[in-house]
Amino acid sequence: MAYSAEKAQEKRRGFLDPRTKLALVLVLALFVMGGLGGDQLKGIKTILSVLPFLLLLIERQWKRFARGVAMLIVGYGLLLAMPYLPGILNYLALMCGGILTRFVVTIVMGEYLIATTSVSEFISAMERLHMPQAITIPMSVMFRLFPTIGSEWRSIRRAMAMRGIRLGGARAGQVLEYQLVPMMTSTVRIGEELSASALTRGLGAPTGRTNICRIGFRVADVLLLAGCAFAIVVWILELCGVTLW
Amino acid sequence: MVELKDVSFCYGSDERQEYGENSLSDVNLTIQDGEFVLLTGPSGCGKTTILRLINGLIPHFYPGLVKGEILVDGKAVDSQELYETALQVGTVFQNPRSQFYNVDTTGELAFGCENRGLPEKDIYRRIDDTVSRFGIEKLMDRSIFQLSDGEKQKIACASVDVAGAQIILLDEPSANLDYDATLALRDLILQWRRDGKTIIAAEHRIAYLWDLIDRAVIMRNGKIVWELGKEEKDTLTQDALTEMGLRSAIQEAPSDIGLPLFVEGDKLLRLKDFRFMYHGAKTPVVDILDLTISAGEITAITGANGAGKTSLLSCICGLEKRCKGMLEFEGRSYNRRDRQKLCFMVMQDTGNQLFTESVLEEVLISLPKNTENEKEHAIEILRKLDLEAFLDRHPQSLSGGQKQRLAIACALASGRKVLLLDEPTSGLDYTHMMETADLLKHLQSMGTTILVVTHDSELIHACCTRQYNIA
Repeated sequence: MAYSAEKAQEKRRGFLDPRTKLALVLVLALFVMGGLGGDQLKGIKTILSVLPFLLLLIERQWKRFARGVAMLIVGYGLLLAMPYLPGILNYLALMCGGILTRFVVTIVMGEYLIATTSVSEFISAMERLHMPQAITIPMSVMFRLFPTIGSEWRSIRRAMAMRGIRLGGARAGQVLEYQLVPMMTSTVRIGEELSASALTRGLGAPTGRTNICRIGFRVADVLLLAGCAFAIVVWILELCGVTLW
Repeated sequence: MVELKDVSFCYGSDERQEYGENSLSDVNLTIQDGEFVLLTGPSGCGKTTILRLINGLIPHFYPGLVKGEILVDGKAVDSQELYETALQVGTVFQNPRSQFYNVDTTGELAFGCENRGLPEKDIYRRIDDTVSRFGIEKLMDRSIFQLSDGEKQKIACASVDVAGAQIILLDEPSANLDYDATLALRDLILQWRRDGKTIIAAEHRIAYLWDLIDRAVIMRNGKIVWELGKEEKDTLTQDALTEMGLRSAIQEAPSDIGLPLFVEGDKLLRLKDFRFMYHGAKTPVVDILDLTISAGEITAITGANGAGKTSLLSCICGLEKRCKGMLEFEGRSYNRRDRQKLCFMVMQDTGNQLFTESVLEEVLISLPKNTENEKEHAIEILRKLDLEAFLDRHPQSLSGGQKQRLAIACALASGRKVLLLDEPTSGLDYTHMMETADLLKHLQSMGTTILVVTHDSELIHACCTRQYNIA
């Protein structure tokens, strides 16, 4: 059967609208990572913390799910082991455990956003939020650049291993600097070539852009957005001194 | 129609010249609708600059001083906006890794049309049409990061096709492609020929399109030195091409060259139990039970797309932890860790393996610990490789060929006996390719064992003495 781009786009439509994903990242960053809100929000925070993992399972991102869970386990493990550790190790465990348990959930949500949103979907969502091109375009390039930076990083690490420059080697102090030099040049070069290519394809034209992707709010979006709004309302009321329960 | 009238150009008139390219001087060139023109000549001759003038990247993205007129279908490119030129001209770039704006292939095909606000139904129809004409159903709805360089270049061509511009520019599109992928690229260009598109290609590797072109424009130092029509170009001999500093016009599969794997009397290097599989893959990409390679020779490693040539180099070099093979050399067995100290690999993207802030420091960190007279020794090596003049330069500011020589200098400094190279001449012109060949022969005469993964038949003819073709 002949290929149909329209059918394929319908099929690859994500579980959530990109705007819902963005709202979730924001709310998680505020309450779970930022630690805003008091006792009242504890229950809401627990539910929020489970969400990214649930979403990863729904979208069949097994690897990312496993990685996130593993990091959480390590985090809580460190906190549990902390009281039994001597001196400096105790302090280190507290620090690492604290950072991991606080940050992992939000990072997992961010990963979910990037892994399951195409550039076209993202631009489309930003346009519906009436964001100006000056914000949308650089942000959409980031989508593209993150995985690229990742693969450049791996290639540089291999090159270092090959040349015998390692952590703990004779010149350990300079390892980070050595990684950053090629990293920055290649990122700048790729960014420049990327822009040149995008410009020759009409990016930035003042005519209204169209998007072939399918986005829009469905039941799950409405429920989650309502949840986000609820958390924020409870928090604002709390700031004003109103307790609900 | 594309017209360049008395065009001169220099990069960065207000800043210092950072791009390392020559300016153009007094170029006159007219390209008719439906014509296929090849721009060729040594590195820095100005062929890429001409393409950038036609697609408007000069002066809108790469600033500089333009003199003369550049007209595309009668409109002056430098005075209209880039998105207006985008409707007339589409460009396929050299680097498959950095020309995609989207992460998924289908989104990438739609990108140009989305930017100009075509209705969705129209875009779908155009994509379906291109997909069936190019036969790329298998590449649709995939992540760009899962594609090979050859597949990425197909997607780049397809996205230009979907946008539907009448004039197509190709800026060294084959530089990172192997032999098979180059043939596939040729098929796509043939498709455009049938559609009556105007095609302008800048290339070093001219063989794959030599019989397709209407005209060859040969440049040097920013000037057009020869223009050859269809009949004229076919009368050129190989020697005449070499004289002009051009690559061979004859397409030859590297696997057909057929040098021996080893001959009697060779000292040998043995690979045993080299198996390597990517995570999640069902079949190993490297699968060698017992292989004998000649020591002290230059062995070309050839083979089809995905035959695992680069992976084999990584395994030999000891970069793949899950490859448990043993290497026997000069009566000693080398496991993975030992091999890291025996082998040096010059990677395809040489920039990613140079870490320091000066050429001299780069060589110094490669010297074994406690070397006497470190500095003199390093300078001596750099002198041998014609890099002495660049001691204080930042390695990242060197040209591609110079970076490669610097990486080889580090290999020499490290004293490792086996040198591995991954596609060292992709994107190099004739002169630079011959320089690399001569350098390899020089290293061989010093007793280094050299393995080169390459799709460059000319390089194999120029310096390789043995060949291992992965079936």
